[in-house]
Amino acid sequence: MSPTASAEQAGAVAGISEGVPAIATSGLRKAFGDRVALHDLTLTVPAGEVFGFLGPNGAGKTTAMKILLGLVRPSGGQALIFGRPPAEPAARRRVGYLPEHFRFQEWATGAELLDFHGRLAGMGAAERAARIPELLVRVGLEGRGGERVRRYSKGMTQRLGLALAILHRPDLVLLDEPTSALDPVGRREVRELVRELAAAGVTVFLNSHLLTEVEAVCDRVAIVSQGRVVASGPLDDLAGAVTQLRVLLDRVDRPVLALLEGHGQVTRVEGMAVTLDVEDLDLAPELARDLVAAGYRLYGLVPVQRSLEDIFVDLVGEVREG
Amino acid sequence: MNVLVVARWTLLEARRRRLLASGVALSVAFIVLFALGFALLYRTQQRDLLTAQAQGIGPPGGIDAREELLAMSTFLVVLGLYGVQFLAAVLALFLGVASVSPEIDSGALHAVLARPLSRLEYLLGRFLALAGLLTVYVVVMSAALLLTARVVAGYQPGDAARAVGLMVLQVFVLLAVSLLGSTVLPTLANGVVMLALFGLAWLGGIIGFIGSIPPGNELMANLGTAVSLLLPADAVWRGASFHVFPPSLLAAQSFTGGEDIQLPFGSTTPIAPAMLAWAVAYPVACLAVAMAAFRRRDL
Repeated sequence: MSPTASAEQAGAVAGISEGVPAIATSGLRKAFGDRVALHDLTLTVPAGEVFGFLGPNGAGKTTAMKILLGLVRPSGGQALIFGRPPAEPAARRRVGYLPEHFRFQEWATGAELLDFHGRLAGMGAAERAARIPELLVRVGLEGRGGERVRRYSKGMTQRLGLALAILHRPDLVLLDEPTSALDPVGRREVRELVRELAAAGVTVFLNSHLLTEVEAVCDRVAIVSQGRVVASGPLDDLAGAVTQLRVLLDRVDRPVLALLEGHGQVTRVEGMAVTLDVEDLDLAPELARDLVAAGYRLYGLVPVQRSLEDIFVDLVGEVREG
Repeated sequence: MNVLVVARWTLLEARRRRLLASGVALSVAFIVLFALGFALLYRTQQRDLLTAQAQGIGPPGGIDAREELLAMSTFLVVLGLYGVQFLAAVLALFLGVASVSPEIDSGALHAVLARPLSRLEYLLGRFLALAGLLTVYVVVMSAALLLTARVVAGYQPGDAARAVGLMVLQVFVLLAVSLLGSTVLPTLANGVVMLALFGLAWLGGIIGFIGSIPPGNELMANLGTAVSLLLPADAVWRGASFHVFPPSLLAAQSFTGGEDIQLPFGSTTPIAPAMLAWAVAYPVACLAVAMAAFRRRDL
């Protein structure tokens, strides 16, 4: 994941120098008629990073990704991949892409499709002959390369899509909802694949609304809602300064809530469980003592970090209400 | 290089979708049918004429038996090639309509155009492969038909190469315009528009033909030309058909004042140079507009 590893790999390609971010957008805007899909998107993804691009359906994630691949023309602002505009074919040479709907020419076989894409990516005959069988094994399609894509299940087609995305050993891989058709085992395999790519210094840009997936693999995330970035940064920073304590009691009544409010802010009461936002975890022993002294039986006192889902729902909810 | 990769892929698609197999099967059937019909009609007519001649009953109007046979052969050959150009034209429209928009609609194009492949290269590759297929189709079918006529009746067209060349040009015109439609319109809408244009061009040819019947109607002839400018497909076919007529027959026709061999689906006059120039420029212009439109299109 070190920048040097990715720079070494990228070094073979002219125009890619150390320090140039894999993705840089500024003020990116896209309107389809009256509907604005992206407002003012500005983000930078350094080479070698695994970046999660989160947002609810219709937030503009896919549009942003398509602009980064030159498939959609921005209405305003600028997008650069490795310092070059993606509309230039040469800029896309070191980029791999798994489209959201992973639809491919169904009349072809999986191996033919890989061969076609390999040729387009500029791979030589020997390279393709070695890489394609290896990849089919890697994504779990061993022995199925000779079958037509029409016969593939949705999960198999998505696996083929992943193989296409990493076929030419790209420096930047854009994955749009890469596990939407996969079962839990398949999802775990994709997480492993992303970690492998990261270890090899490949930059991964991951569109997803599956938060646990993003939490598991990403270094940094940006949360978009209604075409704008509402939060971005390393996951730990986003989880924020606020820490929570979860208190399990024999009963929850007005006096105990007042007592708890004295230590922090009550955010949720579910049955006998109370969730409390606190400034500092160190007040937990003190809180336990006070509760017991007041005659409550304490069954549990657990510190919880706010999950990405909490942050996501808070932020996206705020934007929707605003 | 990328153009060739796309062209090769397009040919594989034609093979995989059984386009080639079914096309070849139908075409062989067409040629066999033509050969049987032509041979049968020719032999019957030949026998009747010879019998009549032997009995001293010449054909009406004192026309020579050989000339009579030649006129009949010409009629059949032009009709047969009309069938070939019609099949090729429909094939060109289908291939053009199916060339780009179905891949956009299905989303299969997203992964392809995310590669270091320009949209120009993609369109050119598609066009080249389909144009190549259609050229082979037109040449093989026309050659088979003309060869049959030659073997059965010793038929010699005025200029076979020019006739076939113009038929190929017609197919390019249709392929280019339907490919252009495929980059800007949804598949079904494009199919409807192309069929309407094709029908209109055919009607333009008929209107022009009626306008040319002596004593001639200038307004109708001009109307026919105007429609042909919209889609110079039928006009180019008529130009091709002129080269199918044996020169001796055309000479006899001008001698007899243009009677007898007026065909509504062919022409006994060559294509006007201006129309030919327009027909050559037309596919180039269509492709240029298609590139410009496709480059800007959001996928």
